[in-house]
Amino acid sequence: MNILIVEDESRIAKRIERMTRDIFGNALKSLKHINTLQEALRYIENNALDIVLLDLNLNGDNGFDMLTTVVSESFHTIVISANKNQAITAFEYGVLDFVPKPFNRDRLQQAFNRAIKKEKTENNKIKLLAIKKRGRILLIPIEDVLYIKGAGVYTELFLANGKKELHDKSLEKLEQLLSHTFDRIHKSYLVKISEVKGIIIKPGSKYMAELKNATLIPIGRTKYKDIKAKWL
Amino acid sequence: MNLRSLLYLLLVCTMLLVSSCSQRPVYKKYQTVFQVGDQQEWAGKDWNDMDWEKRIILVPDGQVFWSRTKIEILKAPESLHLYGLQLHVYGEYEVFWDGVLIGKNGNPGQEGVLPPEGKMWATFSIPIHLTAEGEHLLSIRSSLYYFPDHAGIDELKIDYYDDILTDRLIESSYMHLFAGAFLIASFYFLFLFLSNKKEYATLIFSVSCFLFFVLILAEFSKAYMPIHYSMHIIRLRIIGILMLGISFLIPLYFSKQFPFPKRKLLLTIYAGVLLYIFLSKHVFELTANNMAFSMWLFSFGIVVFGVYKKLKGARLVLLTVLLSVPIGFVTPFNKSLFAGFSLILLGMFYLLSLRIKEQRLAYENSLVQSSRLRLELLKKNIQPHFLMNTLTSLIDWVEESPKKGVLFIEALAKEFDLFNQIENQTLIPIAQEIVLCRTHLEIMEYRKEINYSWEEEGIDLEQEIPPGILHTLLENGITHSLPLEDNSIKFKLIFESNNDYKCYTFLTFARAVREVTSNREEGTGLKYIKARLTESYHSQWEFTSEPTNHGWKNTVKIYT
Repeated sequence: MNILIVEDESRIAKRIERMTRDIFGNALKSLKHINTLQEALRYIENNALDIVLLDLNLNGDNGFDMLTTVVSESFHTIVISANKNQAITAFEYGVLDFVPKPFNRDRLQQAFNRAIKKEKTENNKIKLLAIKKRGRILLIPIEDVLYIKGAGVYTELFLANGKKELHDKSLEKLEQLLSHTFDRIHKSYLVKISEVKGIIIKPGSKYMAELKNATLIPIGRTKYKDIKAKWL
Repeated sequence: MNLRSLLYLLLVCTMLLVSSCSQRPVYKKYQTVFQVGDQQEWAGKDWNDMDWEKRIILVPDGQVFWSRTKIEILKAPESLHLYGLQLHVYGEYEVFWDGVLIGKNGNPGQEGVLPPEGKMWATFSIPIHLTAEGEHLLSIRSSLYYFPDHAGIDELKIDYYDDILTDRLIESSYMHLFAGAFLIASFYFLFLFLSNKKEYATLIFSVSCFLFFVLILAEFSKAYMPIHYSMHIIRLRIIGILMLGISFLIPLYFSKQFPFPKRKLLLTIYAGVLLYIFLSKHVFELTANNMAFSMWLFSFGIVVFGVYKKLKGARLVLLTVLLSVPIGFVTPFNKSLFAGFSLILLGMFYLLSLRIKEQRLAYENSLVQSSRLRLELLKKNIQPHFLMNTLTSLIDWVEESPKKGVLFIEALAKEFDLFNQIENQTLIPIAQEIVLCRTHLEIMEYRKEINYSWEEEGIDLEQEIPPGILHTLLENGITHSLPLEDNSIKFKLIFESNNDYKCYTFLTFARAVREVTSNREEGTGLKYIKARLTESYHSQWEFTSEPTNHGWKNTVKIYT
């Protein structure tokens, strides 16, 4: 595990550090604490990370500028903030969890568990997917996304307007964030449930999900049973 | 009496004035002729007065002279109802009707010897058998000891005797009611002015109302107050002076409400014009008329300017000023004057009520502002960023090092206590504010684990400062700074004062968090500071906040 803590309150940062070491034990490969936004952004650019723990109020800066950047990255983001009012917005941007201050070890562990055990979040608030495009962050409304295809460590978002965008997060991570509206019907596909018109059975026991725009997406053999039970 | 009912009363009175009754007269008056001398036969109906003068300029030394006026009664009175004769004539005189003596007003011809007797406005009954339809003769035997150049009948009226007496009383009773309204308004606004001595418009309005009250009394008291003709000039003088005052005050009032350029110069010129009209020898009514007209013209100009500048209330006032014109034309002089004046006063009244409303709103606003600042100060300690971060650190200290945790709690308790003490103040001793800052630093040291230090220079402990100003600057300094190489941040407060101002300089010695962007949006902290300074010092302050090479520099300058 490579973890970054972005927090300008030194005592709190140390607390998070201590608890994190305690929780992960030997599984922790690197743990870094940074207290300014600019430095954190530089670090993210140059290091591979699994989880970023982010305080949204850094030195009087608006942490949401940073939030859009971090959520577009491949790792999961957990926000630790004193201001509960920011929780809804943070979830809309697609953070994995929001830990309000003050927190204890259990609450922090709960947040980490979501990341480690690939638990599906109950986050039904996510509204946007942030992607990096030509050096800028683009926010794509979830309602525009029809289905998502895994492409190695990346994913491809297929949009209602026929366009395709690349996201840095893996299909597994997106599945975690989008489990409320999307279903994993194939090892390479996440489909928005509300877009599916029906299931077509092709010769050779091939199952396809037909979307409202007539796109056909394969359904994995192992997934078919679950899907059928769930949809019908 | 509240404003609204007063307004209604004014309206009703105005209507009454405008619609004062005008019946068809029961008589027709012919040319009056005069002759100096004294012959009892001149009273007779049949005397030939063909060679008498139509005017006599001067009757010196209180000599006796006669006047004869042919009068035609157009309609005989109803049975048992007498006709009466009302005269407005200078001098002491005897009145003959068709040769019969019907009344006496003083002692003609003996004025030099006897004390003044009689009154300016006299009413006589005419024997009923002498008022048949047809021609009659009114002859007056008089002398003019005091004003030898005022021979003539200024006013003559024949009607039912009872009506002549009661009509005047009714008219004057209404006018006195009217006057009473202005008297009350005058007192009301005088008290308003006394409670807020900066509001000169209220004072001007109050004085105008009072002058108007006296003017009405002076004009209408003649119905019941016997005034000898030698004293009449005093009444006219009083009316003239009142008119002068009112004619100046009304435009002065409008100029306060609708300020225009070169106000002083124009008002001085206007005062000069009024004085010229007042002092130049004219017939009284013409003088009054000219003053009223100049007043109207100047006020009209000011109000039009107000309308042009789209000032509040100017349009309605313009309407009242314009409305006073037709009323002036349709009613006889003394009534038009009052109707016009009262309309204009009504407009002034309206303006004043607008201003009072504005003031009330401004006051309420300031209350809201003050309580908002109070809340802002209270919020400092419960806003989540401060409270939750503090609690999180506190939990950590308690878990890891309980003894230090207790010290932390003590520091926190101290800061809360200080906030409770200053929460409802607008100014607190500087010492208290400094203690607040030091306590805050103590708390932040536990949270940030940075060595904060505090220095002071030239502090005058007698001084006072709005609460939370330095505290806000300190918070900003902590939030936006990174510690120096030795993990320290230093704050320094310097006080300087001279005859013109007092100045607090608040310095932060630290590394900036990032490159300074010039157009940073003003945070709530700075807004709070500025609002607090305005609350206590209005515009007599200056605040600057800028980066320096050692960190940050704030100055608060308060002018004395």
